Amino acid sequence: MKNRIRELRAEHGWSQADLAEKLDVSRQSVNAIETGRYDPSLPLAFAISRLFGLPVEAIFTPDQETA
Amino acid sequence: MAVTKREKRLGNTYLRELGGSLAVYAVLLVAAIRFGRPMEEGVLRTIFLLSPMVGFCLGLWAIARHVNRMDEYMRRILLESVALGAALTAGLTFTYGFLETAGYPKLSMFAVWMVLCGSTGVVTMIRTLRQR
Repeated sequence: MKNRIRELRAEHGWSQADLAEKLDVSRQSVNAIETGRYDPSLPLAFAISRLFGLPVEAIFTPDQETA
Repeated sequence: MAVTKREKRLGNTYLRELGGSLAVYAVLLVAAIRFGRPMEEGVLRTIFLLSPMVGFCLGLWAIARHVNRMDEYMRRILLESVALGAALTAGLTFTYGFLETAGYPKLSMFAVWMVLCGSTGVVTMIRTLRQR
């Protein structure tokens, strides 16, 4: 899964630690999500979407569209 | 590496809870050795000698609470590390089983516990270093 979190975080001028605090997760989690090593659960994906004020599909896109 | 306020808070809570349970374990262990061992055999002595397990159980509770407070990614990393540590332990203990057949000294089963802790620690360290 690809995502725009790094780009959106930069737009807001937040560090990974800032974003981690706002999402109530560890900085390692933010790093793993940004680098595509970890796909967040639906509740966390929705929390990210709420924080940036964007729909989930505007932040996360699948690597390949599935049927 | 920056540590967030959340991680610091969780770490402090875990240390406090685990430290408390270890302190209870240590006090009960000293009491069991000092007063339990000289007692006459019987149910009371057995209970006295088993009493350090109260601290041990508190430690388990502290670990369970910590795992519950972790976020989903950290919990997954921990559980994967424990699984890989267990696999490594199985490999090492199987290997030593063959070595015992070859004449190496028989070790206590308690050693497996220490190998598991060491293996999980090594796996966690390698994974942490790889992610930097």
